[in-house]
Amino acid sequence: MSVAAGLRQILPEPTQQSFDEDVSVTHKERTSALVATRKEPPPYGARAGYVPRTVADFGDGGAFPEIHVAQFPLGMGKPKSKKSNALAVHLDQDGNVKYDALVKQGHGDSRIVHSKFSDLVPKEILDESDSSLQKPDQEKLDENTQRTRDALEKICNDKISASMPGQCAKKQAPAQYIRYTPSEQGQGYAGGAKQRIIRMVEVQVDPMEPPRFRTNKKIPRGPPSPPAPVMHSPTRKITQKEQLEWRIPPAISNWKNPKGYTIPLDKRLAADGRGLQSTHINENFAKLSEALYIADRKAREAVEMRSQVEKKIANKEKEGKETELRELAKAARAKRSGLAKSPKKEDDEEVRERDEIRKQRHEQRKREHNIARAAPGKQKELRSLEDRDISEQVALGLPAKKSGGDALFDQRLFGTSKGMDTGFDHGNDEAYNIYDKPWRSETTLSNHLYRPPKNRDLDTYGDDIEEIAKQKRFVPDKGFDGADPSAPRGSGPVQFEQDIFGVDELLADVKRGSKRGTDREDKDSKRRR
Amino acid sequence: MSAEVEQMPVTKHGVHTLCFRSLKRTHDTFISDHGCMPEPDKTAEEMKKAIKTKQEYGGLEKSQPKAAKIPGRALAIEGEKTLAITDGKSLVGDGDISKQNRTENVPTPIARPNQHGAIVPVKTDKEKQEEKMKIAQRKAPVMPKPKWRAPWKLYRVISGHIGWVRCVDFEPGNEWFVTGSNDRCIKIWDSASGKLKLTLTGHISEVRGVKVSTRHPYIFSCGQDHTVKCWDMEYNRVIRHYHGHLSSVYGLDLHPTIDVLVSVGRDACGRVWDMRTKANVMTLTGHTNTVAAVRCQAAEPQVITSSHDTTVRLWDLAAGKTHCTLTNHKKSVRALALHPKQYSFATAAPDNIKQWKFPDGNFIQNVSGHNAILNALAINSDGVMVSGADNGTMQWFDWRTGYNFQRYQAPVQPGSLDSESGIFALAFDKSESRLISCEGDKTIKLYKEDAEATEETNPILWKPEVARRKRF
Repeated sequence: MSVAAGLRQILPEPTQQSFDEDVSVTHKERTSALVATRKEPPPYGARAGYVPRTVADFGDGGAFPEIHVAQFPLGMGKPKSKKSNALAVHLDQDGNVKYDALVKQGHGDSRIVHSKFSDLVPKEILDESDSSLQKPDQEKLDENTQRTRDALEKICNDKISASMPGQCAKKQAPAQYIRYTPSEQGQGYAGGAKQRIIRMVEVQVDPMEPPRFRTNKKIPRGPPSPPAPVMHSPTRKITQKEQLEWRIPPAISNWKNPKGYTIPLDKRLAADGRGLQSTHINENFAKLSEALYIADRKAREAVEMRSQVEKKIANKEKEGKETELRELAKAARAKRSGLAKSPKKEDDEEVRERDEIRKQRHEQRKREHNIARAAPGKQKELRSLEDRDISEQVALGLPAKKSGGDALFDQRLFGTSKGMDTGFDHGNDEAYNIYDKPWRSETTLSNHLYRPPKNRDLDTYGDDIEEIAKQKRFVPDKGFDGADPSAPRGSGPVQFEQDIFGVDELLADVKRGSKRGTDREDKDSKRRR
Repeated sequence: MSAEVEQMPVTKHGVHTLCFRSLKRTHDTFISDHGCMPEPDKTAEEMKKAIKTKQEYGGLEKSQPKAAKIPGRALAIEGEKTLAITDGKSLVGDGDISKQNRTENVPTPIARPNQHGAIVPVKTDKEKQEEKMKIAQRKAPVMPKPKWRAPWKLYRVISGHIGWVRCVDFEPGNEWFVTGSNDRCIKIWDSASGKLKLTLTGHISEVRGVKVSTRHPYIFSCGQDHTVKCWDMEYNRVIRHYHGHLSSVYGLDLHPTIDVLVSVGRDACGRVWDMRTKANVMTLTGHTNTVAAVRCQAAEPQVITSSHDTTVRLWDLAAGKTHCTLTNHKKSVRALALHPKQYSFATAAPDNIKQWKFPDGNFIQNVSGHNAILNALAINSDGVMVSGADNGTMQWFDWRTGYNFQRYQAPVQPGSLDSESGIFALAFDKSESRLISCEGDKTIKLYKEDAEATEETNPILWKPEVARRKRF
């Protein structure tokens, strides 16, 4: 010991201090440090009743094995405490609990959230010159503008430069030196120095480097910011009546039915709006139609009256003319048969009758003679064609009976017996039964009659054979005596009359000239021509 | 003829002597009063005092309560009893009394733990009384009388558009104005004569917003074809397109000091565009439904948007975040208007029109009466607010009190059905004396104040509801 002490005196002062954790030395040094106390656990050997409870009680070491208590240095190994989302209670400057911390949870401090009832209540009307209603003065506005503009420009430039990569290398700012005074001081830190100087240099950016991170990945959107408290009374509940007023029935289309629902007709037309609008027809329509009707009737009456009047006039004129003519004729007749006009008053009735008949016939003949002289065509018209015999008509070449009548039916329609099973021949597709009936009936007279083809005499008579055939110039005015004018000529073969006189038989006998006269009579009589 | 005048012997002196003698006489006469003020006249003094007191304190005599000698409590009680209609000068009494309090000894505050366990300075009785007074006085609502305003009358109808006219804006010099319409055209009209000056085509769908820039010769327009276009008025051509909106763009506004424009639309976001580079600098997301209107201003908050999700958001433009959300409305907020002079704004929804204060969006009051879907709102420097509805009706309000002084529905132009009436945009011109309304019968209607109306012809019928508590 004395040697050590003596050595200490002889030897010079050591340049480096020892780092032994001597209690006295550390205590001395710590009094000169900036930050004062740090609670250290008691050293080994002096830890008799020491129980570390908090993290700070461990100092910077670990658990103490000699202390037989569950220890959790740095909080490691502790069983997990139940996580509750309860917020700590905070008070504002007046001592009231800040209940709107609940509402302001997810936002920053500068965010305004209205949550009190007073934010809902109208305030008293302030005077216009009140300070709270004045706009901030120009310098504040300018400063605000400048700040915002800088922020926006920065964002804008970032965006633009991000979209225009590959520019030349940016000049690095010169290195910055920072003087730093750490809070932890002592011999162990920074070699005992009180302050440090840090040289700050920007990392060099490679201008040709492509972007380092993929930005094309689509990630789902984050949760929205917490909703603001609703500052109005809840919307009023709807009454049953109001809900019924707004009820809209499902649409039933008159044109489309994609799901193929079967909907009764009244429902189909229900949405038509027929019952909703009462159509009012203007009464002038009825008036117009009535007026037209009346006008029509009046016009007709007028026309009728006019025609009647005209007829009467015409009749009168006609009568006048007729009387004139009659008188003229009388006069002429009287002149002609003036002499022979001695009235023979025969007492004999028969003679009188005969005379009468004679007179009538004479008159008739005269009339016809006069008419024929005056108007030859008229005579023909007057002559009724139906009275003539068929053979006469045929001989005269009178035109065939006029096909007439409104209701003309095709004779082929009558007499068919087409029932339910028409068209389907019981599966007999092979049968060739298109022509099941003759196209012209066999029994008609026209079938029996020879009909020359139309253009047979084309070279003889030329194209206008029809017109030539239709010519009526060669139709005789008079017919044959005793001929029947009723039957027309071309409808069928010549109809023979009943042979009254037996001329045919006689002729046939004559032709035959047979000895046996009676034997052949039966055959001949049966044969018809 | 006074012949017998006593003739005194006149001694002849020199001039010097005469002057000296008159001087001496004067001196002797006035030496006693030399330097003294004239005697005060009592009547004059009293008159002067009376005049002065009347001038200074004449109006206060009535309002100053007699019980001012007892400080604090008495006034509070009186405040509770007095009814609404006062001149608003009752607060002066408070000042006097507080002065009286302060002249006495101010006790030192004591710190005591509160009911919640916090140590808080305890207020003395006097301070408590002061507070109570203030609260009591605040509770008594002061109802100011609305200022008389001349009614507005229609003086011109301009027809020229082939579709609904959707938006309007005036040029800074007030010479012409621009309108945008459903027929995809933007038309420029002369303000004075109402004649058409120019038609700009380029949009392929309805034009919903039009704004004339005050700092550049540009017109900005936005439409339902998802585009925002910048038209150069020197060449009458589109020079820039701002591409980025995903759906129809319903509103547009230009920042007054920064070269930035904000457009909002059906994609529930607002987009901030740099005018020069056409870059979408910021996207203001947060709304959950179509954003119907946007306004920009130089003061904080710089952007205000209103949406069909019934909220109004005030944005911090530098950060790109919502500064505040106002959820007071119950229905879609389609219209927004900033007061040109005051630091406040109004929002319109079918339930009512609400007035708010900047910068935090503090609710001021409801202006109710127009029960229709409101499409447009406009505010005058004079304090006239107009609201235009979807059914063609317009109502004019006094901003300060919320008094509705005029209601009007303009007749539709001949050829239009009555059901086609609707107002889509309203704007005051730069002189704030003419109002333009853009209507659904394809016309532009101009209104001005009726000069012949007086307070007698159009009286104020102001019936404020004080007592009845409304549902909000």
